[in-house]
Amino acid sequence: MITVFEARKVITMNPSNPVATHVAVRDGMILGVGSLEEVSGWGDYELDTTFRDKVLTPGFVEAHAHVMAGGMMSFPYLGYYDRPLPDGSIAPGIRSYEQLIETLKAVDAAMDDPEEQLVAGGFDPIYFPDQPRLTRHHLDEVSRTRPIYLHHASGHLATVNTAMLEVNGVTRDLKVEGLGRDASGELDGELREPVAMGLCKTGMRAVQFSNSTPQALSNFAALACNAGITTCTDLAGAAILAPKQHRLWQDMTTDENFPMRVIQYNIAAIPGESADFQALADQFVELKQTESERYRFPGVKFVLDGSIQGFSALIMEPGYFSGEDHGQLLTVPEQLKSWLMPFHEAGLSIHMHCNGNQTQQLALETIEQILIEAPRPDHRHVITHAQLTTQAQLRKMAKLGLCANFFANHIWYWGDQHYDITVGPERANQLEPCASALREGVSFSIHSDAGVTPLGCLHTMWCAVNRVTPSGRVLGEAEKISPEQALKAVTIDAAYQLHLDHEIGSLEAGKKADFAVLDDDPLSVEPMQIKDIGVWGTVLGGRKFKAAGR
Amino acid sequence: MIAFTVIGGYLGAGKTTLLNHLLANSEDKRIGLLINDFGEINIDADLIASKTDSQINLTNGCVCCTLVDGFHVAIDQLCEVEPPLEQIVVEASGVADVHNLAQYGHGPDMQLDAVLVVADAETIQAKAKDKYVAGTIQRQLRAADLIILNKTDLLSDSRVAAVLAWLQHDFPEARVFCTSRARVPLPLLLGIHDLERPMTTSDHPHAHYATWHFEQASPVTRESVDEFLAGLNASVLRAKGFARLQDGTAVTIQVVGRRSEIETTDKDISGVQLVAIGLADLLDNEALDKLARSRFA
Repeated sequence: MITVFEARKVITMNPSNPVATHVAVRDGMILGVGSLEEVSGWGDYELDTTFRDKVLTPGFVEAHAHVMAGGMMSFPYLGYYDRPLPDGSIAPGIRSYEQLIETLKAVDAAMDDPEEQLVAGGFDPIYFPDQPRLTRHHLDEVSRTRPIYLHHASGHLATVNTAMLEVNGVTRDLKVEGLGRDASGELDGELREPVAMGLCKTGMRAVQFSNSTPQALSNFAALACNAGITTCTDLAGAAILAPKQHRLWQDMTTDENFPMRVIQYNIAAIPGESADFQALADQFVELKQTESERYRFPGVKFVLDGSIQGFSALIMEPGYFSGEDHGQLLTVPEQLKSWLMPFHEAGLSIHMHCNGNQTQQLALETIEQILIEAPRPDHRHVITHAQLTTQAQLRKMAKLGLCANFFANHIWYWGDQHYDITVGPERANQLEPCASALREGVSFSIHSDAGVTPLGCLHTMWCAVNRVTPSGRVLGEAEKISPEQALKAVTIDAAYQLHLDHEIGSLEAGKKADFAVLDDDPLSVEPMQIKDIGVWGTVLGGRKFKAAGR
Repeated sequence: MIAFTVIGGYLGAGKTTLLNHLLANSEDKRIGLLINDFGEINIDADLIASKTDSQINLTNGCVCCTLVDGFHVAIDQLCEVEPPLEQIVVEASGVADVHNLAQYGHGPDMQLDAVLVVADAETIQAKAKDKYVAGTIQRQLRAADLIILNKTDLLSDSRVAAVLAWLQHDFPEARVFCTSRARVPLPLLLGIHDLERPMTTSDHPHAHYATWHFEQASPVTRESVDEFLAGLNASVLRAKGFARLQDGTAVTIQVVGRRSEIETTDKDISGVQLVAIGLADLLDNEALDKLARSRFA
């Protein structure tokens, strides 16, 4: 059975045939893209006019996200910026402590069991610089009896109420450094870094566990569908470390109603820890035997440093603009080659988390050595985040065949902080250097790192195109890219990094019938409107998936 | 209370040699060892009672692997071992922030024993300036209660002296034990647990260490204990003891390198009992006697 989808405009991202009005599809595969006349020759068809006034693009490909985006949806959201929810509604940003307390009070009131703990997420003190720190006393206003655990957006902190401290037996005589205290030495309810957070075990475990539930993946998929995403990475996947999760996801993704392709780059070991990576590479190769249409394992993820806003990314001289440098590699430089080599030699793709450019330098030098010892054409290894990539590094990456995956959403979410505090004006203006990557011939995608920032390729495109910050600043005019280039970065070029550009990422005969269905044309609206384009939903393998609330 | 010891240090410094030495010599103590790779250590097959993917149970303790579920889970696992462990020893990865790891030692039912950082005498100075790991190495050295300067046999005496001078200048609080082939007397490694027998020559046949004992029958003031501890110099690497205070409470005194702790205890003691260990050529028993007598008498 052939279906011909009619649209106001079809943007194919196939440079040979850039624009069309009709797509013919059979068994999930594209037969032809063109005019009705051009595609009708494939045989009897049914004309589907649902998208007659819509714009179709290749289904968006989010090349760096985490199932955590879905996992955290089990908890009330208390972040500063509005956030889309799986049901299509928007959780409003929390702009004051009063609003935070009121929101939690409403959640508390709606809970039946008075003993049950309340876990919430998304809060970030960086947006409340003029306020005193949030403490247990604020949360005690919500409840003195129900334990409350507020997980911060950074993942490095939590604020808890008195009941949460009590239920976990955390008292002022514990000397753990990350326990926040007031001037008199009393615990103030802030827990910094994993050791202190782990003292309130019930809360921390709930956050960790939230990623392994079936709801985490179904929420993740719903968020993707609502944003027009048909292929989404889980870029620190647990399929190797937690085989149980692998089996659950296998079951869920075989259901034909499951609305996205999951591309999982699993981590091989806890970041920073050494392991038998040769044996692990063999396991990764075996894992590929279990691949299916909607669940694939092209490679491995290595986390090599921390974050810029956490001052834990390793950055080049002259270092951080202000604040204390906690730059930290999560690998012994001399060992990195032996960690990566087994995966490289096994033909797997390697994604290396480098937030700092000094870390990235190590990755580049190591990949160079690996390629000298074990040449491999078309490896497409990726530096992911790559936020502070220098011009020299781009030139080297082009020669080494490395791709960049820029964290374009940072421009909006932390651009002002980078300008004023972390790296200073010059380097902030070169953050996520998409235009330079184009000039130097480095293939790149752009990403959300969801749940760190919300899943939404239109928003990510908007960041890379406009480079505006909440204060109204344009962060680096010279690094802006065109809407076409941004669309490429969330479709065919993202697919390229995942070694899937022959199957997805553009609309061409023989490829998967995966579309993003948009209310308007991202290439012709005002660039500042790109993020506001409505998303009808997606088509995945020829099947329509309507966004929630549409 | 389980004592908690972190062993850090960069790749090649000698951590694994140190751990193997520890495993071979700690038979009278129930130790849980947390490492990130089973492959690197030598466990005498006779000691292995049972084995899983992430845990090897020994007749005198167990070895856990951090790899699978991370530190929290591994440490919880060790806390539940029966019969209970006396000490947990964590091998930190070469780039780990040992100060952060040490915080586990302040958790419930834990007592931080020591942060030991092994440094390769030949390379440590260069690594502390390396473009990739300078910050990491400096943080490790700053966090160390005791620095074990290893492989000194590969260097001339004047070169060792130069490294020590550099350590003293850049890390003035550091306490350093020089050795080769990671041979460290167990009481230095794991703490002084037996005041009557802090160590014998069989612990360490080629040791350059010495011990000092002090005993007094009458109770002392809390201030005098603080003053005594403040008066110790860099030659004392570890000290352990008990004191009865004049207000009637008894306290444990523990010194590891530059860090000291005073905690209440239910130990039955009438006066003061102290043992210190330090470098043979530096530990000045006369001066320590004088310090103790002037504070406690």
